[in-house]
Amino acid sequence: MENHVELSNVSKYFDAERKFHALHEVSFGISHGEFVSIVGPSGCGKSTLLKIIAGLDKPTSGEVKFSGGPVCGPHNKISMVFQAFGLFPWRTVLENVEYGLEMRKVPKDERRNSARQYLEIVGLAGYEHMYPKQLSGGMKQRVGIARALAVEPEVVLMDEAFSAIDEVTAEVLREEVAEIHKQTGKTFVLVTHNLSEAIELADKVVVLSSRPARVKKILPISLDRPRDRTHSLFVHMHMDILHLLKEELENTLIRHKLRGMKELEALHDMERPKDEAQPKQTLAAT
Amino acid sequence: MSVEKQRALTLSLTGGVFAGDKFASCLWIIPLASGFAVWEVVTRLGMVPSSNLPTFSSVLVTFFSSIQEPSFLLRIAHSFMNLICGLFLAFSTALPLAFAAGSKNKFDCTLTPLIMLFGALPDLSFLPLLVLWFGPGNVAAVIMASVAGFFPIYFTVREGTKNIPRELFDVTSVFRSDRLSTFTKMVLPAISPHMFSGLRLAYDFAWEIIIAIEIATRVAGIGNFIEGNVSAGSLQSGFAAILAIAIVAIVVDRAFFGSLESWAKRWA
Repeated sequence: MENHVELSNVSKYFDAERKFHALHEVSFGISHGEFVSIVGPSGCGKSTLLKIIAGLDKPTSGEVKFSGGPVCGPHNKISMVFQAFGLFPWRTVLENVEYGLEMRKVPKDERRNSARQYLEIVGLAGYEHMYPKQLSGGMKQRVGIARALAVEPEVVLMDEAFSAIDEVTAEVLREEVAEIHKQTGKTFVLVTHNLSEAIELADKVVVLSSRPARVKKILPISLDRPRDRTHSLFVHMHMDILHLLKEELENTLIRHKLRGMKELEALHDMERPKDEAQPKQTLAAT
Repeated sequence: MSVEKQRALTLSLTGGVFAGDKFASCLWIIPLASGFAVWEVVTRLGMVPSSNLPTFSSVLVTFFSSIQEPSFLLRIAHSFMNLICGLFLAFSTALPLAFAAGSKNKFDCTLTPLIMLFGALPDLSFLPLLVLWFGPGNVAAVIMASVAGFFPIYFTVREGTKNIPRELFDVTSVFRSDRLSTFTKMVLPAISPHMFSGLRLAYDFAWEIIIAIEIATRVAGIGNFIEGNVSAGSLQSGFAAILAIAIVAIVVDRAFFGSLESWAKRWA
């Protein structure tokens, strides 16, 4: 079957001079109902990638396809959960959840009803008339999730959706998201820097390299759900990904170090007779 | 909801620093009343010549008889109308410019330094020119008031626009809000607390300017009334007019702008 979302050779430069390279020919597919986690070293361009899938940002080259058609701007069937929740503080919980439907010109009664339904799903029935500032972080993100689901998307994108929430609350929320994924069969894409979270939720973890981000590895996760973090395979998987990311981080550090060393050497070279310029080789060997 | 949160909520809803304590919220009456009492005693005892300061009681008497005179009320209405027109002019020019400056960095860099320069000048220094161009009348007063009101509105709205989190713009895009909805349902509510604070400040500034202009150029408002009576030696009437302005200014500030502001901040 054709992939639900398909990224082919997505590259992104942030500037016209093509100096600031964020993504380099990223390609992978996401099938219908799949839960994909994207991990990578911090600042590698994970969120940029998600924004491109959401149609919020355009790739410099390459293409994102959704259900076979190119994504060129935000799509009705693609919804998003935001890192800092993205709630409108002047709207009540209910009005926030209604927002997406309101933008689609759904009649008031109808959108109110479905907003209530989704609030119930995320366990916030009874909080309809509160303002976001009266809620805890976890509750705010529940509102964010209800809002994303209320527009009945096929794909839910989550940008570091659990990282601004305390660990215990986040764990509960993850379990609920896993349950929602199971119940609704929607496609989920989660960008995160939390490896356990990535493994716990995903059918597939996409590991990105450091900037410019390339797909370093794609690991299918076939553990039974609900997942046990102490399971040996889980631990193994965690170690694997951690190893990959550390490797990336070290590569970056070495690159930076080398660059620094080369500059230093260049300085030394100027002070030194030419035939003594040997240490370069030993350095490259490390 | 925690106790603290509830308390914070009542605090913000009532808009008062002393919310929940009715007694404490009335304490300000004591120094005010003592001030009037001292005034009365000092003038009664003849410690201040009555040609410089009339007794407080005589001011009150004049005040209550003045506010029954249509001509007196009309003067207040006249000043108030000039002020409102000036405020309207300030609001309608400052708002679009502030939006543009708050959302487009290049526009901000082009315009804001100029506005800051202009704002650093004492507003009233332009008055003689305005009088030369438009004559000593309502037009000059309205323009002056709008100049005074422009700055607080411009800077608060610009700041408010700049402070809208980027994420909220992403939210509007993801849910496919059109430009108009983004403005009316996101930008406008996001900046409304700033906007109303600015409007309230502008109102306070504009009162000062309006009275100053009326005194300086003899526009037939309440400022001119004060000036005329004081120079004619009728200090009671002068004080009565000041009292009347104070009441109008404070009541409108609290009842209208204050409640507008706390309404706009109900969620903040």
